[in-house]
Amino acid sequence: MRELWSSLVQRRAAAAGLFVCVALVLIAVLAPWVAPHDPVAQFRDALLAKPVWSGGTWRYPLGTDDLGRDLLSRLIWGARVSLAVGIASVVLALVPGILLGLVAAFFPGWIAIVIGRTVDLLVAIPGLLLAIAVVAILGPGLVNTVLAIALVMLPPFVRLVRASAQMEMSRDYVAAARQCGASKPRLMFDTVLRNCAAPVIVQGTLGFSSAVLEAAALGFLGLGAQPPTAEWGTMLASSRGFIETASWLVTLPGLAILVTVIAINLLGDGLRDALDPRLKNHG
Amino acid sequence: MADPQASKPLAPMLQVRNLSVHFGALNKPTVAVESLDLDIAQGEVLGLVGESGSGKSVSMMAIMGLVDANGRVSADQLAIGGTDLQAMPLRQRHRFIGEHVGMIFQDPMASLDPCYRVGEQLTETLAVQGRMSRAQLRERALELLRLVEIPDPVARMDAYPHHLSGGMCQRIMIAMALSRNPSLLIADEPTTALDVTIQAQIMAVLRRLQRERNLTLLLISHDLALVSSVADRVVVMYAGQAVESGRPPGIFRSPQHPYTRALMQALPESSRGRERLLALPGVVPGVDDRPTGCLLAPRCPHVQGRCASQRPLTRSIGEGRHVACHFDIDDAAIASDA
Amino acid sequence: MVAPPSPVHPVLDARGLQKHYPLRKGWLRAPQTVRALDGVDFTLRAGRTLAVVGESGCGKTTLARLLTLIEQPTAGTLVVDGRDITGMDPQTHALLRQRVQIVFQNPFSSLNPRKTLAAILDEPLIINTGQSVAERRERVDTLMRQVGLRKEQADRFPHMFSGGQRQRIAIARAMALNPAVVIADEPVSALDVSIQAQILNLFMDLQQAFGTAYVFISHNLSVVEHVAHEVLVMYLGKVVEFGTRQSVFATPLHPYTQALLSASPTLDPALQRKVIPIQGELPSPLAPPSGCAFHPRCPQAVSRCRDEAPQLRDVGGQRVACHRV
Repeated sequence: MRELWSSLVQRRAAAAGLFVCVALVLIAVLAPWVAPHDPVAQFRDALLAKPVWSGGTWRYPLGTDDLGRDLLSRLIWGARVSLAVGIASVVLALVPGILLGLVAAFFPGWIAIVIGRTVDLLVAIPGLLLAIAVVAILGPGLVNTVLAIALVMLPPFVRLVRASAQMEMSRDYVAAARQCGASKPRLMFDTVLRNCAAPVIVQGTLGFSSAVLEAAALGFLGLGAQPPTAEWGTMLASSRGFIETASWLVTLPGLAILVTVIAINLLGDGLRDALDPRLKNHG
Repeated sequence: MADPQASKPLAPMLQVRNLSVHFGALNKPTVAVESLDLDIAQGEVLGLVGESGSGKSVSMMAIMGLVDANGRVSADQLAIGGTDLQAMPLRQRHRFIGEHVGMIFQDPMASLDPCYRVGEQLTETLAVQGRMSRAQLRERALELLRLVEIPDPVARMDAYPHHLSGGMCQRIMIAMALSRNPSLLIADEPTTALDVTIQAQIMAVLRRLQRERNLTLLLISHDLALVSSVADRVVVMYAGQAVESGRPPGIFRSPQHPYTRALMQALPESSRGRERLLALPGVVPGVDDRPTGCLLAPRCPHVQGRCASQRPLTRSIGEGRHVACHFDIDDAAIASDA
Repeated sequence: MVAPPSPVHPVLDARGLQKHYPLRKGWLRAPQTVRALDGVDFTLRAGRTLAVVGESGCGKTTLARLLTLIEQPTAGTLVVDGRDITGMDPQTHALLRQRVQIVFQNPFSSLNPRKTLAAILDEPLIINTGQSVAERRERVDTLMRQVGLRKEQADRFPHMFSGGQRQRIAIARAMALNPAVVIADEPVSALDVSIQAQILNLFMDLQQAFGTAYVFISHNLSVVEHVAHEVLVMYLGKVVEFGTRQSVFATPLHPYTQALLSASPTLDPALQRKVIPIQGELPSPLAPPSGCAFHPRCPQAVSRCRDEAPQLRDVGGQRVACHRV
């Protein structure tokens, strides 16, 4: 772990990404204390107030929207939603993904064929369309958003784990474990899984960023978080009409999404660099 | 007995003086090669032996200018056939080496490009020069294949490397190395990946070619017996330093350096009748514990006195033998037991 | 130094072991057979080492897979620790596998990179013994001591150890369940000379202490000459010669054995045998030569060798499969 940490922070870009991610998590967790106002509170006397650098007041530092809600507070609370959606969908994709991937690797034959073809089918449908389809069936809302995104993220995990596991299975140490009498479940979860972890961790980190993007997209389409919940995508959607008159309502949520995704990607890149060479050196 | 080499001084084909190669951080470098001197006369076969970490492969790479960017190479002299390699820019050096030096590496399957046919790879360097027609190139490739005794060369020309066995591939590597008629041939563990009988075949081919063309051969290997059967002279390396040099079989029959002697004793064939092999305890020094005195001091059975504090210099002990040890081995053995 | 007394039954008894693999080269062509192992007999007793010698393609890897019960032979019988494996039910088969352990060639891939040394040695104990944590810890400490590893190293990962140390760990793991046989597949080929000597010493010390039998696969004949009690020489899936170490090395009878021994260079020129060069390469196991598989490359071949495959027979205490002997 110590080696991982030191090699991670040696890369400045990844360190920056890590810093921003940690900051975002803190902001999201401490939202009730950090946000100046209630995100759904409407201040009728300050509709479409400008942000502080265009002549507005410090009361609403980033301005307000057309219903008088403070943008800064909504962005802060929106971070909660985005991060929660990101984590939840990654976890919901990761756990079955690992399981299915291991099963497909350890039980070649019709089980692996069924899993493989199902994954191929899912991959054949463009991600966003699949998500939309799922939400359309289940109905709009945050929970269904998470389920939809998880389903879209599932196939890469399955394939990654399956390929990784197959490679590890041919190594001598697995044969040695088998010779000691290790059962299949033990081989899967105790012997092989820990050696497939690195690419999965990296994929998970990057999946997080794409989850944030997809949640925003679904929100933009009106299929994700429902009003008055503050969510960056829905904020973008509802501000479409104000691009010329109140551009800050569009750019600031967009910027929030951008910064978050870049930070996560940088972190993920750094993790990949930190984890992979270690594996390559000792294989 | 007069040294037969001494009567006709041949021009040295390879001259290396005080070669050092360092990697990694400047304040705490990994020393791969330290103060190496090498001389190979024209037509001579020199064996460079050592275990992993001895620096034998790295020194060859340094001479060829193939060391990675993070390695620092320094030498007082690096000359091939009298031409100073350090005086020319890197590109010119690579061109010079391409013309005068042939190289054979360990894993023949990995050294050949799997996407190109054998015939194309054989004449690649010649084709680049652009002076030969396609027919001439094909003829030259066939000639080379016959040179290394490949059966049915016409069929092999159009084969891909993965169709051929390890032994065949290594013959092709030898043919490629000889395609520009080099005067110096460097073979780095050429038979380690091959079976014993194939190894014998490949070594026979190498020996024949070396004699026929009066090639100078630098053979790098960890296999002492193999080197002993082929080389005119042997240099034994340990932890980046040359510890002993001399002629086989004498150098192995009566080794003068404790490391060489320990290597002999550790070989299974030297312990006929005895059940346990005499093995040197410990391991080769790493980055963190490189001794300031003699590199073998932590493991040497005869360590004493100034061994731990002073790095021994190489000294000549007659009959073409050089040793890097403070003491004469038999005196040292007696003194350390006392 | 006296070898431990052999028990009533041999540790391994193989008769006519055969392993053929079917190979389908497309739907329209008839399936071919790879005769990886084509009739191998031997007996191995406790405390003894059988060396299996041969070059790539001779079937020694397949033999190792059969002996470790990873695969079933297509014909022939194999008796492990007194139990015939033919027709054995899967549970007993799985239990019997633990009596045969294996040490691999590559010290870098034979240990789980993400487990500590202690966890690696603990694993066979957790799976098979009902011992408590404390008892297992003690056994792990004992194993580590027996192979020359220090207690402080228990929490380190494989990549922190050298090749020789990793091989010690692999040997400790193989010995953890007190197996009857250890199959050592080129265990020292990847090691330097001085480390090789240490590991060979370790093998022999353990054999002397525990009476473990070894099947020692190696292409290095000087190593074989040092460790073996008996030697089995293989070529293209068949046994060509079998005998005690002394007899095979002093009087090799089969032309292939002779060529093999002569091809190994020796340090002392006085010990160097006259080189018997053999031409050509190993034939493909899909299309083995008629009669004796070695005849196309054999310096002593006659017409009978092409027509008739020689049987393994007794010649003065050794067993040879050759018409010319």
